[in-house]
Amino acid sequence: MPAGRVLGVIVIALLIAALFNSEAIVRAGEGMQQGTTRDVVLSIGRPLDDVAGAIGFHLPREGLDLAFGHDPKTASGTELEKGSTAILRRRPGGRAPGTAAWTQPTPERPLQLLVTGDSEAEFVGQRVVDQAPQGLLEVETVARNATGLTNPAFFNWELNAQQEIAARDPDAVIMAIGGNDGFNVEAGGQLYGPHDPEWQTEYARRVAVVMRELTQNGKRPVYWVPPPTARDDEFNAIYGAQNRAVEQATRAVPGARYVDIYNTINNGRYSDELKVDGRRVLARQSDGVHFTREGAVVPTRLILRAMARDYPALGGDRGGP
Amino acid sequence: MSFPTIEFAVFFVAVFILSWALMPHPRAWRPFIIVASYVFYGWVDWRWVLLLVSSSVVNTVAARVIATSSSPRTRKHALIAAICFDLGLLCTFKYLGFFVTQVDDFLDSLGLGSPLPLVQIVLPIGISFFTFQAISYVVDVYRGETKAASLGDVAILQAFFPHLVAGPIVRANELLPQLRTPRDPRTVLAGPGLFLVAGGLIKKTVVADELARRLVDPVFNDPLAHSGAEVLLAIYAFAAQIYCDFSGYTDMAIGLALLLGFVLPQNFNRPYLALSLQDFWRRWHMTLSRWLRDYLYIPLGGNRHGARRTYRNLMLTMLLGGLWHGAAWTFVIWGGIHGTALSVERWARERWVGFRLPAWLAWFLTFHVVCLAWVFFRSPNLTTAFDMLGQIGAPGPSPLVTLPIVFLTVAAIAIQALPSGWWQRAEGWLVRQPVAAQGVAFGVLLVVSDAAVGQQGVAPFIYYQF
Repeated sequence: MPAGRVLGVIVIALLIAALFNSEAIVRAGEGMQQGTTRDVVLSIGRPLDDVAGAIGFHLPREGLDLAFGHDPKTASGTELEKGSTAILRRRPGGRAPGTAAWTQPTPERPLQLLVTGDSEAEFVGQRVVDQAPQGLLEVETVARNATGLTNPAFFNWELNAQQEIAARDPDAVIMAIGGNDGFNVEAGGQLYGPHDPEWQTEYARRVAVVMRELTQNGKRPVYWVPPPTARDDEFNAIYGAQNRAVEQATRAVPGARYVDIYNTINNGRYSDELKVDGRRVLARQSDGVHFTREGAVVPTRLILRAMARDYPALGGDRGGP
Repeated sequence: MSFPTIEFAVFFVAVFILSWALMPHPRAWRPFIIVASYVFYGWVDWRWVLLLVSSSVVNTVAARVIATSSSPRTRKHALIAAICFDLGLLCTFKYLGFFVTQVDDFLDSLGLGSPLPLVQIVLPIGISFFTFQAISYVVDVYRGETKAASLGDVAILQAFFPHLVAGPIVRANELLPQLRTPRDPRTVLAGPGLFLVAGGLIKKTVVADELARRLVDPVFNDPLAHSGAEVLLAIYAFAAQIYCDFSGYTDMAIGLALLLGFVLPQNFNRPYLALSLQDFWRRWHMTLSRWLRDYLYIPLGGNRHGARRTYRNLMLTMLLGGLWHGAAWTFVIWGGIHGTALSVERWARERWVGFRLPAWLAWFLTFHVVCLAWVFFRSPNLTTAFDMLGQIGAPGPSPLVTLPIVFLTVAAIAIQALPSGWWQRAEGWLVRQPVAAQGVAFGVLLVVSDAAVGQQGVAPFIYYQF
């Protein structure tokens, strides 16, 4: 077949794919790092998506999504995107934290634990299974890689939290998230960067919105784990702001717990190596952010200690960093 | 850059147009395809391109010295220097962290401190493939099986983007002759090319990623939380997943190369139809297994020095083949299982000459030995691997064993038994249709494959990590 005809087939195929997958193009663009590629993809994808939506080209794709069992995870008009900081004011009511508040796990009735968040959740979920006392936890890990709270158009965590809780109804939740939240946020019609105090307030608000969905007003505890220290100074500063924001949100939402792995691991100083049970291990992956399999033991033990304040049966000496 | 992404689609259309436009002008085409391949490779990290360039330069110089020197000693030294450089690159990026950790653990067990810093070096994608390609090239020049080529040709041999990151491992005498003759734009093998790209995409997104997400990953993450039925199905599902993932990638690589006018070697030939391990290795990752045979097994002596040396050579070859996949004991054990099985097969063939197992039994045993080895290949550590095996008989509810997953697993394996004629007839029929109809058909396939992955996006190809 001549190359010209082949080109015709390829171009038509890509056009068909672009028209019927325009939402996916916009989502892919919104998930990219800030830069020229993202700008180009969105400048083409958004108008294309508007046209395709107007003609009804979204319908076949929505049918396929249903057929493959994919729930839509984006929505507009949610409180995550725009809402009042009143949610950060401490509210009375809801279940007060305390050991009597929630049913304690037993071997006959283990604690149904949902571990969720971004890619860090995958490691945490795996290590929680082998670090916790045997038989007291049933862990389900649902990691949504590359997601965060600062880009709800790409992935809406408020909506996702509602869906996950409705589907699984866990006894407790561990939420490990924040590594993809270095983007600007809009608040009061203005854009703020991670170094602005307004960014921290807006981030705290979004954390509180998702916390509220996960805890369902104190029905279950949520252990929120923001990122630890990072090798890169820029990331480190952003993660510091996130930790302060999560601490602020935790004070306002019944049942929410802030698990501080930023200031506690190695006294808040980044290190590639850590000591686990007296043994030196390579704790961080080459990106200087994610924990290695061995290193993930350290934050996991901190999480389990936090859980042990609510569930004493999960306590016990597992050693420490 | 990964194949099933928006960036790659735009990149490939641009390269397709320019490649065919420049093809009649080799002096323009060669630098163009090299630059395009480096852009592809350096998209994630431009520093990786420096590695690729240095590898091409060193191996070109070594091959030149080998080809032009009259001194056997100089030729041998040049060969050794090139191989040391290539293996040095591989060992530094792939095995240094593992080595340091093992030494550290060993010294710690003796109560001695270790001065070595624990390091985690970023592994450049495809390093295992382009270094093996480089070694194959200089050894072939040394053996006189191929002529020394220009720097540009060696650069294309290593960096040609369809095969750069995960093979097939191409021999110099397979690609270099094609570079010397401009491809004919009137006779692009569009049928096989487009079918391979579309088929590879479907294998990856509809089969491999679905099996991973719904069954394999949850079970391998925590075997003890799952029933025996789920564990057993996850093992079979991983066999299907890794086949669809890797052969899907290879199909796309070969298909893209065909669309640009180049023929790459086949890498899979219905491996789960194998009736012996020896047969399996003639069907699975064929370009790696021939590399191991020609550059490791045969130089070690092959089967020429008696039974014991043959078994030793088989074991060494497969253990190193396992280590090639990654710096972990699980890969070594994977290789060890294959080496042991190959040796036992050989012994049995020699012990009971002429005896053949019934085909169904031979297939059953071969398939299950391969699946046993896959348990180690997939597991993140030895504990998980043994947990998987120990859990096979465990009772309990099996919510992950669903009809669609069972169907996908069985279909992905059983489809290999279908005669290949239907595929070629379908290709032939499709390319006779009008351009618009073909475009619509492939466009629909792209929509379906993207819908299959949903919002999570396409998972990285398994062999990218090697």
